[in-house]
Amino acid sequence: MARYLLLRTGQATLVLWAAFTTAYVLLQLLPGDSILIKFQNPELGLSPQQIAEIRARYDGGASPLAAYATTLLGFLRGDFGYSVDTGTPVVERLAEALPATATLAGAGFLLAVLIAVVIAFAAGYSRTSWIRGALLAVPSLFVSVPVFWLGILLIQVFSFRLGLVPVIGGSEIQQLILPVLTLAVPIAAPIAQILARSIDRVQAQPFVPVVAAKGASRWWILWRHVARNAALPALTVAGLTFGELIAGSVVTETVFGRNGIGRLTEQAVNAQDTPVMLAVVVLATVVFVVVNLAVDVLFPVLDPRLRTAVA
Amino acid sequence: MLAVAGLLGACGTGPAEGSSNGPAAADGKPVYGGTLTYLEHQPPTCLYLPAAGFYPNGGILNQITDKLTWQNPKTLEIEPWIAAKWEINEDATEYTFHLRDGVTFSDGTPLDAEAVAANFDVYGLGDEKLKLPVAEFVNNYERSEVVDRLTVKFHFTKPSPGFLQGTSVIGAGLVSKKTIALPYEEQCQLKNIIGSGPFTVKNQIVDKQVDLAVRKDYDWAPPSSPHQGRAYLDEIKIIVTPEDNVRVGALTSGQADFVRYVQAYDEETVKSAGFTLYAEPTRGVNNGLYLRPGNSFLKDRDVRKALQAGTDAKEVVETLFTPSYPVATSVLSHLAQGYVDLSKELAYDPGRANALLDKAGWTRGTDGVREKDGRKLQLGVFVSGPQPLSKQTLELIGQQWSEIGVKLEIRPADAGTQAVDIKDAEKTAVSHSMVGRADQDVIKSHFHSQNRDVILSDDKELDRLLEEESAEPDTAKRNAKVAEIQRYVIDQGYAIPLFEEPQVYGGAPYVHGVAFEAVARPWFYSVWKSARN
Repeated sequence: MARYLLLRTGQATLVLWAAFTTAYVLLQLLPGDSILIKFQNPELGLSPQQIAEIRARYDGGASPLAAYATTLLGFLRGDFGYSVDTGTPVVERLAEALPATATLAGAGFLLAVLIAVVIAFAAGYSRTSWIRGALLAVPSLFVSVPVFWLGILLIQVFSFRLGLVPVIGGSEIQQLILPVLTLAVPIAAPIAQILARSIDRVQAQPFVPVVAAKGASRWWILWRHVARNAALPALTVAGLTFGELIAGSVVTETVFGRNGIGRLTEQAVNAQDTPVMLAVVVLATVVFVVVNLAVDVLFPVLDPRLRTAVA
Repeated sequence: MLAVAGLLGACGTGPAEGSSNGPAAADGKPVYGGTLTYLEHQPPTCLYLPAAGFYPNGGILNQITDKLTWQNPKTLEIEPWIAAKWEINEDATEYTFHLRDGVTFSDGTPLDAEAVAANFDVYGLGDEKLKLPVAEFVNNYERSEVVDRLTVKFHFTKPSPGFLQGTSVIGAGLVSKKTIALPYEEQCQLKNIIGSGPFTVKNQIVDKQVDLAVRKDYDWAPPSSPHQGRAYLDEIKIIVTPEDNVRVGALTSGQADFVRYVQAYDEETVKSAGFTLYAEPTRGVNNGLYLRPGNSFLKDRDVRKALQAGTDAKEVVETLFTPSYPVATSVLSHLAQGYVDLSKELAYDPGRANALLDKAGWTRGTDGVREKDGRKLQLGVFVSGPQPLSKQTLELIGQQWSEIGVKLEIRPADAGTQAVDIKDAEKTAVSHSMVGRADQDVIKSHFHSQNRDVILSDDKELDRLLEEESAEPDTAKRNAKVAEIQRYVIDQGYAIPLFEEPQVYGGAPYVHGVAFEAVARPWFYSVWKSARN
């Protein structure tokens, strides 16, 4: 197990370095830069020469390779540099944005899993074919609803029309309800689909009639025997939906005017704020790698057959 | 989107008092207290005062800073504010301001001659070491002179008749000596801006919300304001709400009191729900297309004149906008100083456009696009982020131009590419822009090769005219110069004015006393809320 963890950690480090380097190179290749975008503001009335002077003050005229090395070393020390757009340290901006997004994404993910489990189990338990069909159609519907549209629709109906939750003002919890729902729906869809399919597959296996013949109830079989076996593929997919959580939070945070990593990303992209974009890429990679590592480690816990394989 | 709009239309549950147009007059007796919830479209950027022209910045700074003078938005006259009176020498190279006594910044320091001098030294000269750039509204600044505690004198190298108005603009807000001595990056941050205005910053969640609290000891409103003393409101909550229909929906459902940037297609929703629409003019250079003579196709005046004649501004307004957006009749808004009506010169005439292009040697290719020497008549333009419905406007004009055989290549407003290509007349032949400021100098800001230079001008004659205008101390002569410049710009085909761009706000019927500065930034000093019904 220790060797396995070591190996996976090594892989993860490599992935992180590759993501950092790719993002760094791509961001350098973009036309223009944040200094030009910021200081070309006509109200400031700066000449191209003055802008060039400002730029020299910012990057100190280091060679590309040296600049890369400095940035990489900075990241290793946890120093992500300064946002060109606002002049604040990137770490500060991330620290401000992270808790809001973590709450939103965490709650959205939990709700998504809950929705997925309810749909999959209800479909697996149901014997009426039309109810089953209807339940299984729900994920396809969910996955095709654009997050943006869903957010607007929820606001219009539940806030503006029915007046149940305020979008402007309101408590912390009230401000979370609609965004979490918006984010959870598209994430729930793939998890529900995979879970429902694996429940079907496991239910078709020979051990199920055997357990039934021993007198177990349908609910007992579904919960104790089928669910454990069916959870593995769903877990993998759940780990992969993390990317969608980030993408979804960009849209959700914009629609609901919430602060967070999503809004920060959107603004950094608009202003081509390279240090912020780089930090966001690295942060997303870290979380992605950690989540997938956690999923891999959880596998043997859920499935005894996998324990010997990695030991 | 259509379904959403339908829903919106159906959910006018707000207090319906019948629609009213224009600012709600102070009907009934004003009451003190209450919080105004104001929804902004975008978060503020850098709050260094000379960069305050950006509306989200101005919306905050206008509440927390005062200016030396007050420009009456109706008459455009300059009236006393922090400066009780002033003298200007004959050729407008020396300005002496006598300040009102007893004014303090919110950090307790006095707003005296020294503080004013420190402010304008930075606005006029910039500061290399602190990375503070010069402000657009100050020309030919030489130095300040503190005559006594409440008297400050400014010296100019050349006549600067625009300076008096310059002291009233949003960017000329006065800040404490502590603020003005900070480096640029620090002055960008709201928490460091200490002003003398009727409100102070109470709390800020960066990019999301700014809470302003009333300054109870405020007692130096412009003398011409009917309301004096502290502001009526206790608090203003400025909340960034980027989504258009969330802003409008929040207003009409009673969750917000005031919103900025009501899109043209949402105006009817606001009005029909019984809410007030404020379409405030910006009194400057009109929203339009500006043609760059440095482009190898556009260096031919005939081509520029053809594009001017082949653009139907009226169709643009009638298709995409509302009566809040008056069709342009000159380069300048009809409310600008020195405006002259040139609507005859700007009449839509595709026949003449085609004739001009034929004459210039451009012949139609098989695809309908004109060609000359194997090159297609194709012009690039960027979608302009700050302009309302810029993409749709450009698409419609692209259709109009295709009828005269010109292809308009519309590119999305990706900030990086735009920053690189916007100064390249070959790649960006046309600029879609406008600028608001209620002074004759606005036209110089827009066209002079040392200012915004939207047409990347190589026209010495134009620069000369603009410099003459900005150095002319006599108002009548200056207005005549502005008229001459408008004629020249239209005659040379540098501009295709489209409409007079307003700032459109929506307000609840129980919000009274909303005022705006001359370029449509809200001033909440005399706002009060009556009971909702």
